[in-house]
Amino acid sequence: MVAILGPYIAPYPQRSYQPLYEGDAAEGPSWKHPFGVEESGIDVFSEVIHGTRNDMYVGLAAAFLTALLGVAIGAIGGYFRGLVSDLVLGVTQVFFVIPTLLLILLFARIFLGLVFKGFGLTLIVLILSFFGWSSVAFIVRGETLRVKEMEFVEAARSLGAGSWRLLFRHVVPNILSPVIVITTLNIAGFILTEVIVSFLGFGDANTTTWGLLLNEGFIFVRTEWWVSLFPGLAVVVCVLGFNLMGDGLSDALNPRLRE
Amino acid sequence: MTKALLEISGLRTYFFTEAGVVKAVNDVSVEVNDGQTIGLVGESGSGKTVTALSALRIVPRPGRIVDGSIRFEGEELLTKSESEMRKLRGPKMAVVFQDPTTSLNPVYTVEKQLTDIISLHREMSKEEASKSALRLLERVRISEPERRLKAYPHELSGGMKQRIAIARALSCEPKLLFADEPTTNLDVTIQAQVLELLKQLQKEFGMAMVMITHDMGIIADMTERVTVLYAGKVMEVADTKTLFTAPKHPYTEALLKAVPSVAQTRALEVIPGNIPNLIEPPSGCVFHPRCKYAKGICMKEVPRLEKVDERHYVACHLWRELKLEGKAS
Repeated sequence: MVAILGPYIAPYPQRSYQPLYEGDAAEGPSWKHPFGVEESGIDVFSEVIHGTRNDMYVGLAAAFLTALLGVAIGAIGGYFRGLVSDLVLGVTQVFFVIPTLLLILLFARIFLGLVFKGFGLTLIVLILSFFGWSSVAFIVRGETLRVKEMEFVEAARSLGAGSWRLLFRHVVPNILSPVIVITTLNIAGFILTEVIVSFLGFGDANTTTWGLLLNEGFIFVRTEWWVSLFPGLAVVVCVLGFNLMGDGLSDALNPRLRE
Repeated sequence: MTKALLEISGLRTYFFTEAGVVKAVNDVSVEVNDGQTIGLVGESGSGKTVTALSALRIVPRPGRIVDGSIRFEGEELLTKSESEMRKLRGPKMAVVFQDPTTSLNPVYTVEKQLTDIISLHREMSKEEASKSALRLLERVRISEPERRLKAYPHELSGGMKQRIAIARALSCEPKLLFADEPTTNLDVTIQAQVLELLKQLQKEFGMAMVMITHDMGIIADMTERVTVLYAGKVMEVADTKTLFTAPKHPYTEALLKAVPSVAQTRALEVIPGNIPNLIEPPSGCVFHPRCKYAKGICMKEVPRLEKVDERHYVACHLWRELKLEGKAS
């Protein structure tokens, strides 16, 4: 897994923030510019690395926020009964079935103009998490329902622990392994979604992301294939990497396989 | 007579399931005095555990205490608020559960499990809590206590886990300990050790103990007084010795006969049939379908708990006429 992630972790120190302006001509891959040069004279290699940084930020931040929201909402929905539980389940289901991508695009279009420059990506992160927590919440809710009936919870209660303490100190730590797995998979998912959003031109045009590069290269894909190919490859490798990592983690954290 | 530490009377705890109301505990009264060990004995599903959980007011849903009174040190518990109850659980009453593999939280080290409870009830620094956790491990006679503090439950053997669970229950020095079949899931050799440990700890801590079990051997070994439960009802209450030598209830007799002994020459007797459906318990005496002495009246009238003598009560219509066999002690 590290080997898969290595190639795009390693070049970090080498990233050049300043795009290279070397005339207007587009160039194919060469030793100097291994991924070629864009129409406007931007080095695709450094742009891809730029994009890596930004896409990683989106993927990691959104997945983390999603995990936080999902665990909190799912745990409360699973632990408490009655109105709270019904409400949480209802809201989760609504978020589960709505056509997320369309709404993400819509929200991105509406709100991107409203935020300060440089916060575009953060906004994307917020939008992605806002629509993405329901799957985590579902899993957490189910696991909470299971774990809260276990004897050690009763034992802790018999020694004077209150509801919140039981929930967050005894139940939640026991359901973190599926959350970690799904969060890893979510990183890949969110990166992919961000790529789609930017590719469709709904992203933040001031920040380099793989989707934006794909979008820029798309028009000239017949003549200047390198502009699209390399960011595309980066997406594939990255998403594949996180998916494999998720699989690996789910094997490693599966208590049935471990014991 | 000394004032009772715990006094449960007329307790009814029902489970409201979709199939109907399960009367898990149906008019049970139990009394525990300071420093005393009493036994709650009965088959699975007779309401032993639910009685204990009711005393701490931690009956899991859909169960609910519907009637009765539970007095601890003279105070009524059923009218207390949840936060008042929480302060009692641990420092006043604690439970050791049946299965130590599930009653310890698998994600925490032994130290964390113990200090968690200690710091919940006492103002203590982390170091002090750790120290008292270590002292607890020593008191439950765990070898290499320093090393065990850092261990996770899955790294320990069953007997050791149960010692940890006992240590945790004793961490706030309760006045009353419920031991809910604490040795059922342990090897026979470990069982004896754990029971011996409980006996010693009870003396050291000067606490009262309620031993919940279906094992008449443990009852004989550990307790002073016994309450025999069947289908959520009290069948017989007596001093342990009296119960063994002169049982007055057919169910008690049957339980005694179901215990193997070395001197035994006849075949082990089983109690025919199963514990009844608690949604629609049998009419009259709950035990009559399985009772070999049952008569017409047993089907019609619910027997009341009658006084045999000052310390012996039995709920059977026929106790005066029956000549029941006890065990020679």
